[in-house]
Amino acid sequence: MQWAVITAAFLASAVEFVEAFTIVLVVGVTINWRSSLAGAFAAAATLALIVATLGVALVRYVPLDILRLVVGVLLILFGLKWLKKAILRYSGLKALHDEEAIFEETMAEVRARGEQVTPRFEPFGIALSYKAVLLEGLEVAFIVITFGTSAATNVCSQSCGINAAAIGAAAAGLLVIIVGALVRAPLTQIPENTLKFVVGIMLTTFGTFWAGEGLGVEWPLADAFLPILAALYLLASFLLVTWLKQRKRPQAALASERATQLPEKEVLS
Amino acid sequence: MKAIKAIYNFVVGDIIILIGVLLAVVILALIHTVSFLAPLRAIEGIILVLVVLAVLVATLNRETLSKR
Repeated sequence: MQWAVITAAFLASAVEFVEAFTIVLVVGVTINWRSSLAGAFAAAATLALIVATLGVALVRYVPLDILRLVVGVLLILFGLKWLKKAILRYSGLKALHDEEAIFEETMAEVRARGEQVTPRFEPFGIALSYKAVLLEGLEVAFIVITFGTSAATNVCSQSCGINAAAIGAAAAGLLVIIVGALVRAPLTQIPENTLKFVVGIMLTTFGTFWAGEGLGVEWPLADAFLPILAALYLLASFLLVTWLKQRKRPQAALASERATQLPEKEVLS
Repeated sequence: MKAIKAIYNFVVGDIIILIGVLLAVVILALIHTVSFLAPLRAIEGIILVLVVLAVLVATLNRETLSKR
C-alpha cells in the first residue's frame, strides 16, 4: 500500500514540478538566475510552513473516516478534471499541452516588459518565480497531505502515510531538477499528456476508493480492489476517447463543407 | 468572491463534475441512513463507480457540444 502511495504522489507531483520548473527556467534565462532561485526558494519556504501547519492539524484533530470522505471527494474532483482534459487532448478536441510553447510564450512576455539579463535581484523575476513555484507547489502539498492522510492503515499511521507521499513528491522534484539541469531545456521530452492521463486515472481511483470507505462502502478484496478500479477507469477512458474521435469526424467534415460553401456564397453575392 | 472563485477553479473548475460528485455522496449517504434503501448497500460501491463514470461522460458530452 505504501508503494502505491509513493508512486501516486511521485507521478502527480512530477507534473506540477515540470510546470513550475519551466517558469523558473524562463526567469533564470531571461532575467537572471539569482532572482529566479530567490523566488523559488522563498516559495519553497512558504510551502514548508503550510504543509507543517496543515498536515499536523489534519493528523491530530480530524477523524479518519471524515478525512477519507473529504479527501476522497477532493481527489475525485481533481482526478476527473485531469482525466477530462487528457481525454479531450487524446481525442483531438483540445490542443496538446506544450511545455515548449509555454516556455516561448513566457519568454516573449518577459521580453515585452523590457527585462534584461542583469546580475542584481529583479522584483518581477522573483515574483514570477515565486508565484509559479507557490501555485504548483500548493498542488504538490495538497497531493502529499491528501494521499498521505488517507493512506493510513492499521500498520501505518497518518504521519507515516504523509511521509510516504512526501518521499514520492520529493523524488519527483529531485528527478525533474536533475533532468532539467542536464538537458537545460523546457522539459518537452516528458509526454505531459500521458503523465496527466495516468495521474487522472490514479487520482480518480484513489478518490473513489477512499470516498467509498469514508461513507462505509466495503470494497471486495479490500486494498486489492484498487488495481481493478484503475483498470476499469482506464478501459472506460479508452472507450470515451474512441467515442469522442468518432463524434469529431462528422464535425470536422461539416466544418470543411461550410468552409468550401462560404467562398462560393461570397462570389455569388 | 475572487478568493472563492480561485479555490473553485483550483479544485474543480467544472460545475457538472462538482454537482455530480456531490450527488454521488448524497446518494450513498441516503443508502446508509434510510432503512428501505438498505438492500442497495450490497451494490453501493458499484453505484459510486457508475456515478463517477456518468459524471465523466456528461462533462465530456458538454465539451463536445460546446465545441460545435
